[in-house]
Amino acid sequence: MIYLDNAATTFPKPECVYTAMDKFLREKCANPGRAGYRMSVETEQEIVKARVTLAKFLGIKHPERMIFTFNATDALNMGIKGLLCEGDHVITSNLEHSSVSRPLTGLEKHGVITVTRVANSDDGFINADDIRNAIEANTKLIVCTHASNALGTIQPIREIGGVAREKEIMFMVDAAQTTGVCDIDVETQHIDMLAFTGHKGPFGPPGIGGLYVGENVRLQAWREGGTGFEPESLSQPETLPFKLESGTPNSVGIVGLRTGIEFCIKEGTDTIRTHERDLALRLIKGLEADDRFKIYGGRDENEKVGIVSLNIKGLNPGEVAAILDNRFNVAVRPGMHCAPHIHREIGTFPEGTIRVSPGYFNTVNDIEETISGLKAIAESA
Amino acid sequence: MMDQSLERYSRQILSQHIGEECQKVLMDSNAVVVGCGALGTVSSSYLTRAGIGQIRIIDRDFIEESNLQRQILFDENDIAEGLPKAIAAQRKLRKINNNANIEGVVTDVNYANIEELSKDADIIIDGTDNFETRFLINDFCVKNNIPWIYGACIGSRGLTMNIVPSKTPCLRCVFETMPQMGTFPTCDTAGVIGPIAGIIGSIQATEAIKILAGKYESANKTLIEIDVWDTKVKQIDISELMGLNDCPTCKLHTYKFLEAEDGVMVTLLCGKNAVQVMSRNISNIDLVQLAKRLASISDVSSNEFMLKFKVKDNEFTVFPDGRAIITGTNDLNTAKSLYSKYLGM
Repeated sequence: MIYLDNAATTFPKPECVYTAMDKFLREKCANPGRAGYRMSVETEQEIVKARVTLAKFLGIKHPERMIFTFNATDALNMGIKGLLCEGDHVITSNLEHSSVSRPLTGLEKHGVITVTRVANSDDGFINADDIRNAIEANTKLIVCTHASNALGTIQPIREIGGVAREKEIMFMVDAAQTTGVCDIDVETQHIDMLAFTGHKGPFGPPGIGGLYVGENVRLQAWREGGTGFEPESLSQPETLPFKLESGTPNSVGIVGLRTGIEFCIKEGTDTIRTHERDLALRLIKGLEADDRFKIYGGRDENEKVGIVSLNIKGLNPGEVAAILDNRFNVAVRPGMHCAPHIHREIGTFPEGTIRVSPGYFNTVNDIEETISGLKAIAESA
Repeated sequence: MMDQSLERYSRQILSQHIGEECQKVLMDSNAVVVGCGALGTVSSSYLTRAGIGQIRIIDRDFIEESNLQRQILFDENDIAEGLPKAIAAQRKLRKINNNANIEGVVTDVNYANIEELSKDADIIIDGTDNFETRFLINDFCVKNNIPWIYGACIGSRGLTMNIVPSKTPCLRCVFETMPQMGTFPTCDTAGVIGPIAGIIGSIQATEAIKILAGKYESANKTLIEIDVWDTKVKQIDISELMGLNDCPTCKLHTYKFLEAEDGVMVTLLCGKNAVQVMSRNISNIDLVQLAKRLASISDVSSNEFMLKFKVKDNEFTVFPDGRAIITGTNDLNTAKSLYSKYLGM
């Protein structure tokens, strides 16, 4: 199989991730932070080490502000619902994944908040000036994606963060598509909250992600329970990370995530991004001259991750993906990619697009075979 | 005619070893002093006076009355104000030399923060009271090719040596493994004669000045051992130890303390206002010997499974594998500090 759905979940994982998780699950997987016996302490230390590794990787000064979550959706919900109160205004974009847009829409429908969704350019970029112009007196939060999961376009988060910082508005970034792939530094990019998942760019397993909570951010905990910290207290502790990390953590996932991030550091995020992007651009180059194909989103190599959204004119993307799988053994994702707003903008609602997302372990040959397959399908139309 | 801006340093510039050029190099240098107790107060004082441009002083502890016998930057007012050592030192040193950029940082130095705290260091001065941090400094310095100056005192004895990566043996060439936690005397259990710290701290400052000024040829290449009571000075040749026994740090380039694969583990115990401190390597503590070491500072009770003693508000329960549960705190750094003071790490 040629796996080209890395924007959903990276596959395969580096060998070190499998090995580390197997070893941990066999040797150290006790309940951390609740007891003092050696294995429990060792488990806790593994989690602390992961927190420190991620903090360094993302430019986070205080590791205790790096909260482990189940995935990016979990982190975005914790951040958005933990921060916003009645009467707040939020600015977001039309490029967002449902994990951003649905929590906002839910709060909006219940009359808690108001939301402004700024339009993006035709090639899929948010303009920081549009964000600035949307600011109102009660704007509490600006939340946007770092890279569009449908188009692969990298957003100017440093500029948007600059606007947010200047206006003293909280800035939250959905880094689901960029962690492990693009440079992220919460300090220089003025990020107050960063949500990411482990199973994409960081090469970790599903079920583990993270939320950075900046020093100016006060969140309500929406999941409360056992923390191993201040057990005598009847209410949730205020101290991080305990406040936001109730329940037995996904320790084996955390170890996988850390090992994956260490792999990213060793290989270099630039190397990883360049490889994935070059494969994406190769696919575009192989199809763009052929007018049976429609390719969406900007193609500037400096502003693109390894994601290509395309359609074959006159064919349903779901059917194309099924043929690719069935006849050519190529795995891609058709549909709306959980980002309905952008499909209205690019005119692909509700069928969506075929999303091809090469990963670090894909080869040029994988892309060439995919191009041949797509052309053969187009031929049949 | 000497540059007027250098007048403050004229007496050391006039000495045959340091001219104006060297002085300017010193003023452009960056030193990090890890631990501001007996040794750190002495070395940081001389480095500030010598005009080192930037000095960061890191210590996790607060000043106590028993420190004043040897920790020369502190006084009774500091105790009355309840100051952390790093902040009191910063205040005093800024008064001594306002041209120097002095920064006190109140924190425990550990694998998570040593890179951030020391990233611009031209040299690191050891003012710690424990091997755990020294092995960490050694890992960091060897990995990043930064010289550091080991120093230690207990009783009337003191030790110091320079560790200049790729030129001298590193700490682990000389002390192959970390002494077992909880098995050796400390200043808080065996005492210390104040002036030995003055001597060792002064040597450390002098060596730092030589190395920073680019005068490595004049730097000490030996392990210096001084006993102020017996008035004996020994210089032990350690040159042949360099890389010996496949030194894991400077020969094999594995950095287990920096990567938290070795060293101490500190954990908050559920519901006890207590912290457990234990080593990744299991110690083998002789509880009878430990009871003897502690007898002069506290009542000690023990049986074959554990030993208990109390110092002020903190009760220690020590187990033969080296772990200790310390009650009266839920702060991990305080617990580490208490362990290192009374049990040794």
